[in-house]
Order: sequence, then structure tokens, then C-alpha cells
Amino acid sequence: MRGNLSIARGLGCASSVLAALALAACAPKASTPAAATPGETRTSAPPSGTAPPAIQYEAHVSAGGLPPPGGPLSNPHQGDPAVAKAGSLLFTALNCDGCHGVEGAGWVGPNLGDGRWRYGGADNEIFTSIFYGRPKGMPAFGGALGPEGVWSLVTYLKSLPVPADEATESWEKP
Amino acid sequence: MPDAHRLLMPTPVLAVAYLACAAAIVSAPVAAAAATPTATAATEDGQWRMPSKDYAATRYSGLATINAGNATSLHPVWTFSTGVLGGHEGQPLVVGDTMYVVTPWPNVLYAFDLGKEGYPLRWKYRPDVSANAIGISCCDTVNRGAFYAEGKVIYNLLDGHTVAVDARSGRELWKTQVADLASGETVTMAPLVVKDRVIVGASGGEFGIYGWLKGLDLATGRVVWTARNIGPDAAMLAAPGTFKPPYDGGTDVGATSWANDSWQTGGAPVWGWTSYDPGVDLIYYGTGNPSPYNAEQRLGDNKWSSSVLARRPEDGSLVWAYQFTPHDNWDYDATGAMILADLTIAGKLTKALVHFDKNGFAYTLDRETGRVLSATPFSGMNWAKSVDLATGRPVIDPTKQTGASKGNVKGICPSLEGGVSPSSPAAYSPRTHLFYTSTNNLCMDYAAVHASRLKGTPFVSANSPYFAGPGGYLGTFMAWDAVTGKKVWENKEPFPNWSGALVTGGDVAFYGTLDGWFKSVDARTGKVLSRFKVGSGVVGNPITYRGPDGKQYVAVYAGFGGDWALLSGDTRSDDPADLRAPADFQKDIARHTSQGGIIWIFGL
Repeated sequence: MRGNLSIARGLGCASSVLAALALAACAPKASTPAAATPGETRTSAPPSGTAPPAIQYEAHVSAGGLPPPGGPLSNPHQGDPAVAKAGSLLFTALNCDGCHGVEGAGWVGPNLGDGRWRYGGADNEIFTSIFYGRPKGMPAFGGALGPEGVWSLVTYLKSLPVPADEATESWEKP
Repeated sequence: MPDAHRLLMPTPVLAVAYLACAAAIVSAPVAAAAATPTATAATEDGQWRMPSKDYAATRYSGLATINAGNATSLHPVWTFSTGVLGGHEGQPLVVGDTMYVVTPWPNVLYAFDLGKEGYPLRWKYRPDVSANAIGISCCDTVNRGAFYAEGKVIYNLLDGHTVAVDARSGRELWKTQVADLASGETVTMAPLVVKDRVIVGASGGEFGIYGWLKGLDLATGRVVWTARNIGPDAAMLAAPGTFKPPYDGGTDVGATSWANDSWQTGGAPVWGWTSYDPGVDLIYYGTGNPSPYNAEQRLGDNKWSSSVLARRPEDGSLVWAYQFTPHDNWDYDATGAMILADLTIAGKLTKALVHFDKNGFAYTLDRETGRVLSATPFSGMNWAKSVDLATGRPVIDPTKQTGASKGNVKGICPSLEGGVSPSSPAAYSPRTHLFYTSTNNLCMDYAAVHASRLKGTPFVSANSPYFAGPGGYLGTFMAWDAVTGKKVWENKEPFPNWSGALVTGGDVAFYGTLDGWFKSVDARTGKVLSRFKVGSGVVGNPITYRGPDGKQYVAVYAGFGGDWALLSGDTRSDDPADLRAPADFQKDIARHTSQGGIIWIFGL
């Protein structure tokens, strides 16, 4: 039982998780250093290997105007079209579209292409959502994909063209 | 009378009704339209104690106060917001003077006192149900209802537990983990209680589960047996000499019909309806689609996915199985209701099983052997031309076969929402000898690609946009003669029709629509007798009961959902971070409805 899900792009390319991951791994590196694995951020070392990475909570209201301490977690592939392409293949091969719909247009999981984000739309926030999962059903993919795979998905999602924010849906003729 | 037999028939009154019904069917020729009422108001106990009203899954009540002459004055007498937004499939139970309602996740159980003004709650039970289950449920966070037995209200939680709650106090009696979220399993079906067994299965045809049915002990919740729906004979509880499929035999056919051991992640979930024939002591249930949607990753028939299976309730042993859609390429789950009726076919009284399948055929089977007696298209369909009664196999159109190597296959009917959704169970009236069901008039394109599997995440990989079938409407509610294989009447609806059916001894049928109308119609003609806009689209199943005041009432849930294709995204108002355009195939559904669960009760 299921409806208008998923894909149809990159047919025949995304033949397996491994192939897609290999693509991601082989994608040209950005000039910035590769992202540290979570638990090993570039500016601070969390107390344990299982702790979340230090991230910026820019989409949140900080009590007292004081953001939590922690260094930045930045996307080493930001804006890289080759990495975005690899991410799009991963998105299909791993059935991300099984929940988030064709090109992230939304299914049981939220729309990822409307420019609106439940847990923040900065690269590091999307990374955290995918790597560690989120409440209400988002699985943690960090273990299966590793940081490189997750960054490729982030880069892909950020490459999607964001339509105009049409807050109004009207059935009346103007 | 041993305990087991007493449990089989929850009350003497019900037992009498069942026997009276059976006797009347035996004596009444099918052609006689004005046959003697079978379950009359006198033999009808006026309750609704199990999901489909009776073990035969007829959704027929003998109550007759509301009839085709007075139903025009039906009006709402009470409503209650469940406070939950998920699709409200399933139906309430009415036992004595209490109504029991299970909500979609988080699966709250409400007990209303129908004997007091305003029907206040006696209690509510709020189990701790994991929110992770939301992401493991393919299509919505639905629940298809509870079963009452031996003073217990028994139902399933989305996160893979079965619970028994004391019907008087609301206290939890036992709670058993039956399914594993981490493997992609959730539980949405209503349980079936037969003798001292609680029968449950798991959803997860979109997550590559290894589908199963379990029998729990009614007193303790202990899992007594687990039967796989696919795989080797031993795992399927298919013993030589006991398992006698009518067509496709062979040792371990549940494994050998899957290339490369693909049965191990082959789906075949159980999320629909179950029925039981005490005469032959068999439970009947359908299995869902094989995984993944790219059929080239699981070459072979993929038995026993998209099939009906007949098992002994006591030990789960498999007695027969029949596959409606071999090597299912189109997500044609067979989890819809298996309705048991004794029909006069070619002059012979036949113990039949009638099933409206997602694949567009209405089947009549011999429920003792599983042999197909007839299979007739009831909705627009083109993937097959007919069913060969000698072999039981569909005669397929090869141009409608799908798979990753075939690219985008266009114009397949029905869509994978089915000629009817299995979520929308049909009803059968022993008075009119007609079956009543919702239908969908949708077709699809289907583009499969190779799917990779990560345990606990979707295993799908197909894009299948829908479009309207011929006629410009998207659904119907219809009356069907299973003996002649003919539609008797139908009411066209602008949107896919997704509610279950109810039919009564007053010859009134009831259904709801996706755009939020609840309707009563003349069971013999389909003429609309009353309608009311109930606040949200109806995907639940109406019931009827006799209240403590002696009057007949009809209850139904409003609460749009049940499949996210229907939800169309733009019908939601609960998430500012999710802004979607309307679905191509029903652009204006959001003009007429939005989410939100409401219980409605109607009376004269």
C-alpha cells in the first residue's frame, strides 16, 4: 500500500548502495579539509565518541541569547555539483524517496525541497538530521553511510531549486 | 461445553444469530430477492464486538429500525474529537453499554459510557508507543481497530505490540512485543480472537520484512506460534499431508519461487482483515505485496505474497493457499477482507469466500479447498485479461509487466491503490444477497529501479504516478452480485472512495467519502437517503448498534488519511515546515477536507 512515491531520475545508474557510496567517495573534494567525523570535530573534541558533533543551533531560539558552546560543523562539499549528483543517486538507491518522495517532494516524510525545514536548513543541521536521525521516525543513517555519504546527501538536498514560498493556496478565480 | 467452544462464540445470543443466519441462507435460494430476513432485530444482539461484526466478516447487522423509508431523517446525535490527526481507519466496538475507540498512533483507547447523557468517558488508556514507529509505517499511522473477547479489549500498537486491556477498568492485562521496528515491522491491523488464540500480523511490505502471522495465548499474551507467509515449509508451518494448495504444490514452494533466496526480504505483510469459519475451523487472511517493487530483484511467483492463506487457529498450520497475483509487479496486496458467505452457485449451495482484490478482480473461492470458482473484473483493469479457472492463474498482458529493465511502463489499471483499497472492507447482506464495496477508478504509470536495502528503512524503488481511469470520476460505491459476477448499481464519487461498507437488516447501506460526506443509501437501488458533511474525509468503517435506550444508532470515524497519496500533502495544516502542491490526480481535494479525527454517531 503506497502511492506516488519516488524517483525516476538516474535510471540504471544507482545500481547499489556500494556503487553510490563509491561515487560519493570518488567525488572531487572541495578545497576545504574533509569534514571530521562526528565526535572528532575540528575545533573541539566531545567528551565521548557517541556524543553529537558540535553544531551551531542557528535556527533555534537561544535562552538568554546565549547559543550553546561548540564549534562549527561545515560541509566540505558545499555547492559541489559532482557531489550533489552522487547524493542524488544515493537518495534514490537508499530509498530516501520511499519516505520523502520524488526529489524530496514529500510523502510520509516531510518535503525537503520547499525551503522550509522542521529541524533547520543549514548544512550542519541537515547533516545532523540524517546522521543521527530525528524524532517521529527519521532513522539515523550515520552508521550506514558515514560522514561522506551524509554530506553528499546534504549537498544534493541543498542543490534542489527552491520554489517560491506559496503560502496561499486559493480555489477562487481572481 | 468446553471453554474453547464457549470462547469461539462470545455469547449465546451471537451463537444463535450465527446459526439462524446460516440456516436461513441454506433454505433461501439466491435468486429470491425478498428472502426471509436472516438475522432479524429479534435475533440480533445489537452489539459490534469484533472488527467486521462477525467471524464471516460480513459487516451486516440485523438491526432494522433504520430502514429505507426513514433513513432520510438520520441526523448526528453526538461527536467527539479524538485529538489525533492520522487517518482514522477501522471502526469502534460497542459491547453492552460501552463504545471502545482506538485512535491512530499514539493508539489511545477510549471507553465511552453510552448509558449517560453526553456519553462521558469511563476511562482512557494511553500506552507508551514509540514515535520511531511513525517513520517505519509506510503510508500513515493508522490502526484498524480492536477485538472484544472474554472481558478484554485487544488491539495492536503501531510500534509492534499487542495489548489486552480490561474492558471494565481500562487496566492493561498484558502487553506482548510481536513485531520489530528495527526490521521495518509495524502493526496496523485489528487482531482476530478465535478460541484462546489472538491472531496478529505485521505491516512492512515497503520495508522488506519477512512477513508472518502469530497466534498468541488469549489469557497471557504469550506467543504460541509464528507462521511465516513466505519461505521454507517448516517456517510457514506447512506440513506434508496437511498443506494442500489447490493449484501450486511442491516442497518449499514459498522459498523456491523466489530467485536468489529473495524471500528473506520478500515482504508479504499482514495488515488487513481476517475471518474464521468455525464449521471447517479455518482462519482466512490475505498477504500483502512482495518486496521490493522492482520485481526483477525477486524473479519467480513469489509465493505466498499477494495471496489468501487458510490456517488452523490452534497451531497455525497451513491448510491451503491461493495466490491472486503471482510475481506481483504492481503492489497488488491481497490484504482486503475475505468474506465468508454460503452462496447458491450453479444450483449448488457453496461455502464461498468472496474477495475484492486490489488487482481489480472480484474472486469467489471454495473456502474449504481454495479453488477459484469465478474471478470477474469489478473495476477498470488491464494487467490481466482473465483468470484461468483450471490453473487459477491470471492470463496476463505482457506489455503491462514492470521491472527496472522495462523503464517507465505506462497506463496500468488499476493503480497500486487498488480497484479497492484493502483498508476499505466490503459488506454482505444475506437479505439482498449482494456485496457492497467502495472502489477506486485510478490507473498509473510504473517505473521501477534497482532497490538497495538497509534494514529498518524503505525497500521500494518505483515511481508510480496516478491518473483517473475512464469516466472522469475517481471512485464509486457499488453493489455486486458475486453469483453472476455483475455490478447491480453504483454511485460515482468525485474522489477515490476509501471507507468500508455497512449494510443492515433495514436494507440500508452506509459509506463515507474522501471529501467528507457520510451517506446512507437504499441497499437495493443505491439511492442516497441521507448525507452529512462530517468535518474530514472518511476512511473508516461504519458500524451500527442498539443503544442502552433501545434505539438503533450508526457510528463512523471522520479523519482523512490512510495513505499519503490521498493526503496529497496540501490537505495538511499541522506542519509549517512542509508546504506542498496539490496532487495531480485530485487537485482540489484540499478544498473539501483536512486532517483530524472525529467520532460521529447518527440516529433517527
